[in-house]
Amino acid sequence: MMGQGLDTSAYVHFPWCLKKCPYCDFASAAIRRGEVPHEDYTDAIVRELEGRPVAGRRLESVFFGGGTPSLWDPKALGRALAALRGAFDAGGDLEITVECNPTSIDAEKAAALREAGVNRLSIGVQSVNDGRLRFLGRLHDAAGALRALEAVVPVMERVSADLMFGMPGQTADDFEAEIDAVLATGVEHVSAYALTIEPDTQFGALHRKGRLTLAPEGDFADTFERAREVFRAAGMIHYEVSNHALPGRTSQHNQHYWRGGDYLGLGAGAVGTLNGRRYKNDPRPERYLAAPAAAEVFEETLEPDDRVREALMLGLRTDEGVRFDTVQARTGLDARAGRERAIARRVASGDLVVDDERMRIPHERWLHLDGIVADLF
Amino acid sequence: MPFPIERIRNFSIIAHIDHGKSTLADRILEFTGALSDRERQDQFLDKMELERERGITIKAQSVRLSYTAKDGIEYQLNLIDTPGHVDFSYEVSRSLAACEGALLVVDASQGVEAQTLANVYLAIENDLEIIPVFNKIDLPGADVDRSAREVEEIVGLDCSGAIEASAKEGIGIEAILEAVVRRVPPPKSTTGNAGPLRALVVDSWYDSYRGAVVLVRVIDGVLAEGDKIRMMATKADYEATEIGVFAPFPRAVGSLGPGEVGFFAASIKSVGDTKIGDTITHTQVKLRATEQLPGFKEVKPMVFCGIFPTDSSEYPALRDALDKLHLNDSALTFEPETSDALGFGFRCGFLGMLHMEIVQERLEREYDLDLVTTAPSVVYHCYLTDGSMVEVENPSRLPDPVKIDHVREPYFTVAIHVPAQYVGAVIKLCEERRGEQKGIQYASTERVIVTYELPFAEVLYDFFDRLKTATRGYASMDYELAGYRQNKLVKIDMMINGERVDALSAIVHHSNAQTLGRGLATKLRKIVPRQQYEVAIQAAIGGKIIARETVKALRKDVTAKCYGGDITRKRKLLEKQKRGKRRMKSVGSVEIPQAAFHAILNVDD
Repeated sequence: MMGQGLDTSAYVHFPWCLKKCPYCDFASAAIRRGEVPHEDYTDAIVRELEGRPVAGRRLESVFFGGGTPSLWDPKALGRALAALRGAFDAGGDLEITVECNPTSIDAEKAAALREAGVNRLSIGVQSVNDGRLRFLGRLHDAAGALRALEAVVPVMERVSADLMFGMPGQTADDFEAEIDAVLATGVEHVSAYALTIEPDTQFGALHRKGRLTLAPEGDFADTFERAREVFRAAGMIHYEVSNHALPGRTSQHNQHYWRGGDYLGLGAGAVGTLNGRRYKNDPRPERYLAAPAAAEVFEETLEPDDRVREALMLGLRTDEGVRFDTVQARTGLDARAGRERAIARRVASGDLVVDDERMRIPHERWLHLDGIVADLF
Repeated sequence: MPFPIERIRNFSIIAHIDHGKSTLADRILEFTGALSDRERQDQFLDKMELERERGITIKAQSVRLSYTAKDGIEYQLNLIDTPGHVDFSYEVSRSLAACEGALLVVDASQGVEAQTLANVYLAIENDLEIIPVFNKIDLPGADVDRSAREVEEIVGLDCSGAIEASAKEGIGIEAILEAVVRRVPPPKSTTGNAGPLRALVVDSWYDSYRGAVVLVRVIDGVLAEGDKIRMMATKADYEATEIGVFAPFPRAVGSLGPGEVGFFAASIKSVGDTKIGDTITHTQVKLRATEQLPGFKEVKPMVFCGIFPTDSSEYPALRDALDKLHLNDSALTFEPETSDALGFGFRCGFLGMLHMEIVQERLEREYDLDLVTTAPSVVYHCYLTDGSMVEVENPSRLPDPVKIDHVREPYFTVAIHVPAQYVGAVIKLCEERRGEQKGIQYASTERVIVTYELPFAEVLYDFFDRLKTATRGYASMDYELAGYRQNKLVKIDMMINGERVDALSAIVHHSNAQTLGRGLATKLRKIVPRQQYEVAIQAAIGGKIIARETVKALRKDVTAKCYGGDITRKRKLLEKQKRGKRRMKSVGSVEIPQAAFHAILNVDD
């Protein structure tokens, strides 16, 4: 386990979209295609990176998220990526992902990204039903989404699609049909998210006024279980609450978070956690561009206890669960200590499976995950 | 040499909460020079954090003041501060018995309140000289004439010599002290210094070095350091190792003579060995009194509830905490209790609701315990067919109905003071609560005293909150025990997923048992959080199910997204959720929040 704490993934936030989606609470501002400050933003990322304590760490993966990082000129993005590789101990074969919208990706763009060093695309399909795409305020339609997937699958090494369920009127049958359509394009990884109303979004405001209803809880639950069956039938593993992949195609970057690993965050609104210190940058692009090396607006020091709780909160979302030795190595604490009674109770009720090495929540209890984890906090 | 008795004045202050008692006491201490500016501290006599916060006094205290009056003579004034709540009315009566006079402090902007009145009557019963003081005359709403009229009409007290004061502004303090000297009679002693000792136990508190410290008022004889003394009620003998007074800080004196107030310590293990109202005398036959001072009563708890740790491993800590509280609070009783639902805990007895709240709050605050408490219950007298009687202080322990001949429940005489326009609302509430009207007295044209006899259990069930709502907060209330009465009482049992939860049982009158049972089931449905599985809630009377409610299963309890940027927020949400669970108790596989165990207290909410 020596040096494992120094394995670090990198997240680069790109804070612009062509249009802000009504459900999204990630840091993003609307921008017109011609106005993206491609090179300036790369310069800012490079400047911030120079001040981050990453020398000697091994780079585990890189993820360009947003916003819509596929709006970024692939060359400028490539320059940021090269700077990252240079700042860390030379990394070998890395997973490098870029998030895309169906409207800002095609075969040509995918090839350019590949040229820049990217080997994985995560495409925000959300739905392959035109009515639901309109509900979500998306700029693409179903045909466009499937076309984008079909175009990039042959070009890019690995492709993932994001889908959403739990919209009003959307049943398990409806979602099954959408999954089938997406899998037919050859993607090997799907993130299937339950629509969540975040308070600081347009949907949040509508919901507060009673003008937006979600699917009934039963539909959520049925769809969640059905999705697992459908993906399983396609040979995919439900490896995290909202993620399904063919064996060997899981997202290394996200698994690194869920295992409680350190991550560098760069860019406007980005969050990073290094050596038990978590920070967040100013989400306003203009502020970030003006002072990328002094853009932090939040920081917290994580005590060993906090880190254990986070390891439980994140690890128990996955099928591999929480490894006791990993937590011990990272925090100096035994994840079981002080929660023996809660663990015993949850084991007895079947909510938790524990052996000498790790504990995990079996798939059939994932719908109750938050309550189980809160009990262990 | 004991202080000359004719220059001693013992007095107390009677006031409603917030009418300015503590502030007036502070001013008197300052005026007589007992406190230097450096020592000044608001509400000096309220020592406990809780007392200060709630503005109530729980323990009696005394301060000896030296005051040179306008006649040029130096007097010894003993101010005895009494607990101000009806829960402690026996303690108040003993404090008053130690005085010859009392200041009746009335907020001139508010007028007379019920609780004040109860204590005034106690003072009158003890033959005290009462000096009315109209406080807060600096307030724009102050109306001394109206307040004086009320005191004269309601209390029947001549207000021609009343003093106008503002404790806050320091107005009228000297006039008050002069009145105490001139109008409060000096203590009387039939035997003087030489006779057998008789000293009244006013209160006692626990000190970890000295054991119980006893506050006494000497009536006859002298109590001196080294004296062998006897408690006449408990017949226990001690040696007085330390004698002192508070001035206001404790100061040793060699002895206390007739009329004087002070404290003694005698290596007494707990305050339980010192009964309030008991008489202290000498063991030596020549100096031993034959007759106890009048008025002694054994204090009996009136209200009981179960106290359980949420985490059963905290049981020993709870026992230790109760032991420690008991050292200083002999009215608190506790016995181990086992509940099927809540595990190991204690059935605790209290003087009243305030006493109960204070103890619960101190256990949680000072001893950092997470507790689940059951709804308070009165003590039922259950007469069995074999002629015997059992006292039932836990509803789930009511014997099998076939063995019961009849059940008697405690009644209170409740006096409610209310502006005339709310009389109808008060009567309606009392009638709903099975009350029997005893009288309606117009104290003045706009103020009425409504007197009812009410089952004490009905008073426990959010009676005071309802009263405040019905009268927009204008009602004040006083109550005292009026004996036991036979009524047709039945037990409601609550079942969760088919299992009876003993801690949820309640004894109620049969006429509204059905309504209460159904209401309780509905209320519990709202309180019990949804869980992984459906939860059935049933109410039963005498084994017959009368209501059923279902808490639907929670189908989805999982956060969709959790990535690097969300971790702090999600962790904090879960931490909050965990804190919410601290006050829940798992009954079988169902998590039940604290509120469920008190649901019976306000079923209609």
